[in-house]
Amino acid sequence: MTSPLVDIRGLEKRFDLSGSFLEQITFKGGRFQRKQEAVHAINGVDLQVQKGEALCVVGESGCGKSTVARTVMGLLSPSAGEVHYGGQRIDNLKGGDVLPYRRKMQMIFQNPYASLNPRMTIQQTLEEPIHFHRPELARSEVREKVQEVMQSVGIDPEWGSRFGHEFSGGQRQRIAIARALAVDPEFIVADEPISALDVSIQAQVLNLLMEAQETRNLTYLFITHDLAVVEHFGTRVAVMYLGRVCELAETKTLFAEPRHPYTQALLSAIPRLEDDRPNYIRLQGEVPTPVNLPSGCVFHGRCPYANERCRQEIPRLIVTDGGSQVACHAVEEGRL
Amino acid sequence: MKSDTPLLEVKNLDVRFAVRGGDLTALRGISFSLDKGERLGLVGESGAGKSVAAFSILNLIARPGYIAGGQILFEGEDLAAMSERELRKIRGNRIAMIFQDPMMTLNPVLSIGTQMVEAIKAHRRIGTKAAREIAVGKLRKVQIPSPEKRLDQYPHELSGGMRQRVIIAIALLLDPEIIVADEPTTALDVTIQAEIMALLLDLCEQENVALMLITHDLGVVSQVTQRMLVMYSGRIIEQGPTREIINDAQHPYTQGLINALPQMGEPGARLFQIPGSMPSLKNVPSGCPFHPRCDFATDQCRQTMPEYVRSGNVDVACYEVSNLIEQEKRMQEAGS
Repeated sequence: MTSPLVDIRGLEKRFDLSGSFLEQITFKGGRFQRKQEAVHAINGVDLQVQKGEALCVVGESGCGKSTVARTVMGLLSPSAGEVHYGGQRIDNLKGGDVLPYRRKMQMIFQNPYASLNPRMTIQQTLEEPIHFHRPELARSEVREKVQEVMQSVGIDPEWGSRFGHEFSGGQRQRIAIARALAVDPEFIVADEPISALDVSIQAQVLNLLMEAQETRNLTYLFITHDLAVVEHFGTRVAVMYLGRVCELAETKTLFAEPRHPYTQALLSAIPRLEDDRPNYIRLQGEVPTPVNLPSGCVFHGRCPYANERCRQEIPRLIVTDGGSQVACHAVEEGRL
Repeated sequence: MKSDTPLLEVKNLDVRFAVRGGDLTALRGISFSLDKGERLGLVGESGAGKSVAAFSILNLIARPGYIAGGQILFEGEDLAAMSERELRKIRGNRIAMIFQDPMMTLNPVLSIGTQMVEAIKAHRRIGTKAAREIAVGKLRKVQIPSPEKRLDQYPHELSGGMRQRVIIAIALLLDPEIIVADEPTTALDVTIQAEIMALLLDLCEQENVALMLITHDLGVVSQVTQRMLVMYSGRIIEQGPTREIINDAQHPYTQGLINALPQMGEPGARLFQIPGSMPSLKNVPSGCPFHPRCDFATDQCRQTMPEYVRSGNVDVACYEVSNLIEQEKRMQEAGS
């Protein structure tokens, strides 16, 4: 295998809940105690994104998929672990050293109502990243570039003098995509880019993303909770649960033969048009809080196949004969 | 009551919103019926008027909105013409409503028990103890563990899925004949959505309650409902048995909506897309409101709104479909 474009190694991210040092101190039973609490959003994630693929990260709310996206982009700094881009470690770069990577990596956000500056015209919104990343370009060249990206996302270049609020949700998401494409990136992180849109608009935006991938040779890290979209769009899929990757496989393999009990439950819950009745694998209980992580496998409390080993030992991702990577003791031991 | 009169019958309902610069028509000539124990799905994209339709059934349209014409007959009585006092006897009692966001519908400063007892006492002369017993029974019915304990808890102590269960329990408190559910699972994760939908379906079947389910998710409609309405720009454009519409939609918009779903396409292929987006209420196109986005639009479509025609068991408002039906008739006559 060639070396990956983006390499995420042992990534961890904790968000501190307990505040400053003094706030952590409590007086209890005649003694001072220091108590620290943190949300464990990601707990050791390893992912490699190959050039030209669309790697989808799926999971339910609170599983850490958006945190992965933001950490990769450098919007959050990891608590532990490394992020490499094209062989170079980027999570510890400072100041101007990050700039060349910012140009190669762009992000599309979930809510197009919040991600466009309401006080800037579309022309200004799209010119800003070009001015910033390619100051050598002349005015007319920048304008040409903006016209080109606007056309490529299906927004009439005549509308450049309008403001964000004059557009519909789908059009705004197209503009957000145009802004990401304006600096000719190689790698795009899309965090739930179609979740806020209507069905018929979702199809338009998804088509646009696929088209951009072909014509511009893009690589995607695509974050979503919608499994039907993943099946259509993704090259490979990583399923996350409570900050860990529990299964990683080619899209076809994952949908044809899900191995991890959580993946199986997740896939069975998609409402399909053919179904006459909801027909799904029932999980016990609910997702535990990421503040106090369960010991062993994070899924053991809800898993019908859990045994003593699952409660104590954290499973590692192992390669199965089907070619998918699964973090499950039951699969490893052949119980499942 | 005769068995052939429907439980709820909406006839030619018009709802308008009085805003500066004239009235906006949110619903135009809506007619449908709901039988006892029947499950009806109401589908459409944002701005189609599905929530307005749901609210108007309970006559909950607040100013500047008003019911401009038509009737809402519940067991033969017109809800549109009733006084507030009479309406209060029906709302929550015989027709219950479940709203989209479980975080917003429960009062955060009252315990679950207080809110449930309050709802019962508003409609029945009953002691607090007896009311609490009813509440416990309903909580048990929606599969909430240790319901006696839950009564003294506050909404923030429950997870999103649990809260939606409590809301369903509250809707069931007074054994209503109709439950109107407005996007009850949109704010929830896929696995929780599957559980809540299955629960709602079971309860409606057990208690023979009619369900009116408003959603944008065709998969959910396909799994849960027997009949469905498709709305576009304040009009019903297609209605009939759910299976028949999902398998063989007649209206070009319904066809587009179904074909735009990622699960309908070959993985990796372009999705079918409907060009453009839903018109705003301020400038609804003349004639058929869908004509600017329709591949089959003719001059006739641009000028007059099509009447409903019957195709199989489905009522459709589309000239293309009615022309096809007539053509077929002529062919048959010529053949015989």
